[in-house]
Amino acid sequence: MTPLGSIASAVLSVTPWRLERRLEVDAKRAALTRIGGAVGAMVVVGILLLLTGRNAFWIFWEALDAIFGRQRGIEGVALRAIPILMTALGVALSLRMKVWNIGSDGQFLMGALAAVGVGIHLDGPGWLVLILMAVAATLAGAAWMLVPALARAYWDVNEIITTLLLNFVALQLVTWSALGFWRDKEAAVIQSTREVPFTLPGLPGADSVTVALLVPLAIAAVLWWVFRSTTIGYEIDTIGGNPRAAAFAGIAVRRRIMVVMLFTGAIAGLGGMLQLSAPGAQAMNAGFSAQFGLSGFIVAALAGASFWGVIGGGIFIASMFYAGIVLQTKGLSVYIIFAIYGAILTGIALGEIAARYRMVRRGAEDREAENRDADDRGADARDADDTAVAVEATAGDEATQGARP
Amino acid sequence: MALTGTDTRLSVEARGISKSFGGVAALDAVDFELRWSEVHALVGENGAGKTTLCNILAGIYRADAGQVIVDGSERDFRSPAHAIDAGVGMVHQHFRLVEPMTVAENIHLGWPETPGVVSQRALNERAERFMAETGLHVDPTAKIWQLSVGEQQRVEILRVLARGARVLILDEPTAVLTAKEAEELFAVVRELAAGGLSVIFITHKLREVLAVSDRLTVLRHGIREITRPTEGATANEIARLMTGEERVLDVEHRVVTGDPALELRGVSALNDRGIAALHDVDLTVRSGEILGIAGVSGNGQTELAEVICALRDHQAGSITVDGADIASASVRAVTDMGVGHIPEDRIGMGMVASAPVKDNTVLHNYWTPQFSQGLTLNRQSVIDFAKQIVVEARVQTRSVFATAGQLSGGNQQRLVARREALVADRLLVAAHPTRGLDVNAAQEVRSTIIDRRDRGCAVLLISDDLDEVLLMSDRIAVMYEGRIMGVFDAADADREHIGLLMGGHSLSEAVA
Repeated sequence: MTPLGSIASAVLSVTPWRLERRLEVDAKRAALTRIGGAVGAMVVVGILLLLTGRNAFWIFWEALDAIFGRQRGIEGVALRAIPILMTALGVALSLRMKVWNIGSDGQFLMGALAAVGVGIHLDGPGWLVLILMAVAATLAGAAWMLVPALARAYWDVNEIITTLLLNFVALQLVTWSALGFWRDKEAAVIQSTREVPFTLPGLPGADSVTVALLVPLAIAAVLWWVFRSTTIGYEIDTIGGNPRAAAFAGIAVRRRIMVVMLFTGAIAGLGGMLQLSAPGAQAMNAGFSAQFGLSGFIVAALAGASFWGVIGGGIFIASMFYAGIVLQTKGLSVYIIFAIYGAILTGIALGEIAARYRMVRRGAEDREAENRDADDRGADARDADDTAVAVEATAGDEATQGARP
Repeated sequence: MALTGTDTRLSVEARGISKSFGGVAALDAVDFELRWSEVHALVGENGAGKTTLCNILAGIYRADAGQVIVDGSERDFRSPAHAIDAGVGMVHQHFRLVEPMTVAENIHLGWPETPGVVSQRALNERAERFMAETGLHVDPTAKIWQLSVGEQQRVEILRVLARGARVLILDEPTAVLTAKEAEELFAVVRELAAGGLSVIFITHKLREVLAVSDRLTVLRHGIREITRPTEGATANEIARLMTGEERVLDVEHRVVTGDPALELRGVSALNDRGIAALHDVDLTVRSGEILGIAGVSGNGQTELAEVICALRDHQAGSITVDGADIASASVRAVTDMGVGHIPEDRIGMGMVASAPVKDNTVLHNYWTPQFSQGLTLNRQSVIDFAKQIVVEARVQTRSVFATAGQLSGGNQQRLVARREALVADRLLVAAHPTRGLDVNAAQEVRSTIIDRRDRGCAVLLISDDLDEVLLMSDRIAVMYEGRIMGVFDAADADREHIGLLMGGHSLSEAVA
């Protein structure tokens, strides 16, 4: 049992209920418990706010109103969601293969940097330059993943370290470009690169959201289809589940790892270009990324590498951030806002764990056994059960023994 | 079989123990009596409730109903630490040792009596003193990873005894041991019992029951069938009580003269550490015959199977399937030639435990036109195929969408064996296909393999269970240190003769 599970069992031990681990977690329940976790966290936060003399109802009302009350709110959420969704989709793809890409920030920045380079140097019809910017950004994001991918695929070097460290390199390159070789020397109020003179076309009826919003939705749809209905998706899931079984099945494991890792970098890189081609964001500076990669990582991890879950989670987290900014302008302290963010994310994570357990009334098993089709899980299933629980039970035992003086 | 159990006082008594998991009863009002100075075999198929009962005695689970009485007083163990305080300790099938630490450190780890500040030397001395007391010896300064499995098991037993256990529970202790190590364990167990301890010996191998125990208890489907003295019991009788039915696989051996489906000529290969594992191996398997490889595990059998299935490169020699050299063929090309492979490590290599059953049923042929058109994988045909395998191979699962890791070992192997049999049109390489399976599952997997043979497929059967090799094979080859020591027709096979070859004696020595 997880530590949290043990705590919950301990709390429940005084009640007529006990926790039982589910053999299988179904996706619908997992989604519901996550939503439940977020709502629960908001209730707890609300009570704390009330206890400290703040008007929690007003705060939540303002937040909802800021998002849904006007078009600007919905567009603000969409603008924040695009980069988060792009990095999250890249991470989610790599997670299907159990590869942990912590470097989507770096790939995002390099994609944006490549797009700036093309955008400020090429002359031509806007649509052509924008396409070239997208191509350059995609390639740059993939290129930034090349070394970690080679190292992981051929020398088993842990990608968490390599991708993470390359984030800092990318950030320095961006700073250098903004301060140095691509610096905007005319309107140099803040240190920034020159501005790309093109933006993507807006969505019909929108003030500031461009067609960029469609890109993550399209990518999610394609990835969903790939993992549902293609042999490539099957192979990636197989490698993620058991690389030795993948080799047994004749899958070219190293080559697949290379391809998937390069793709995750490419998606994040394209995200950088989409961010850069939004009206008003056409230049780069050190604050360009705002840790979209980190947010994307959180979304992908909480969504359990499900692509539609990423879309839902990304929009949720973007709404949360947007509401936070609005509340700041209304005088709520930034520290309280961060605490609320943290509480909500923790609530979702707890909800994810809660989906793996269920509460059973003690002594109710006998009745249940009659109701259930006994042939459902044959005698053999018991042993499978036994081992899983036994391993956990003894792990706990070691811990208690170890804790003694 | 020496009868040491003259003491009839009870060390542990269980009365009416019941336990269920998720609504399925694993134990149903089981009584169990254990005497001092006896070795008590606890016998039953997988899922009979042996391990569950012992986990309750050792404080890992709490019974839903019933009493546990240890040395005359009723106990309610809330954790394994409580049980060990009362003198009941269990050695699990999978060891819980810290590999980079020494033997002495592992023995003292988490032991309340270990001094708070202590030198390496003092630990070693304490460990040595302790080994002298129990008569179990392992170098106390050796690191765990340097030890053989048998020695590691001895450290586990020492750990439990060091904590004052007077009742020792061994969960399938021979499953991981070689035949020689198992013999040594039997001697240790007998000696401990002679010294006054109680030992519960969980197993489903009948020969071990007869060799080691004073009394035996048979569990079936969570109910006690019998407890009786081992003296006078026969293997057939115990088997009948375990399975509830008498089922003997009758295999007809054949002499086949057809074309060779698989031919190895002078094949040499390295193991994972780069050391020569196969030396100049010549083998021929004909269509419609089973060639059994007899030998102690670790004599090149793993590498042999992998070389044939293109999972491992060979350094020299030629391997042909139906006359075509597969030296540079990919895994996929070899599979497409009709070569199936039941790998020895079914969970580690043969399946993806976290993936659904349906995905596991097509692991070795998902790219064939039956399932895949161009880039797409036809979900419906995968599901249909999975349902067909589950029904035909009698895989017990709630649905084909359940993860394969939830299946018991027997059901996992039913699935893998059937899947590979369907891939194998020409050659089936079966490595230890029934290892760890209960009687019924083993019979079914064997029937699957024999059915393939009868349909004209060549079978290379690798097993360290000599009984199985003798039962199934039409011809038998003996392997020792990467060499083929001799090949016999089933009719000429002599158990003793083969045993000598497996131990490294040459053919002339064996015949002499």
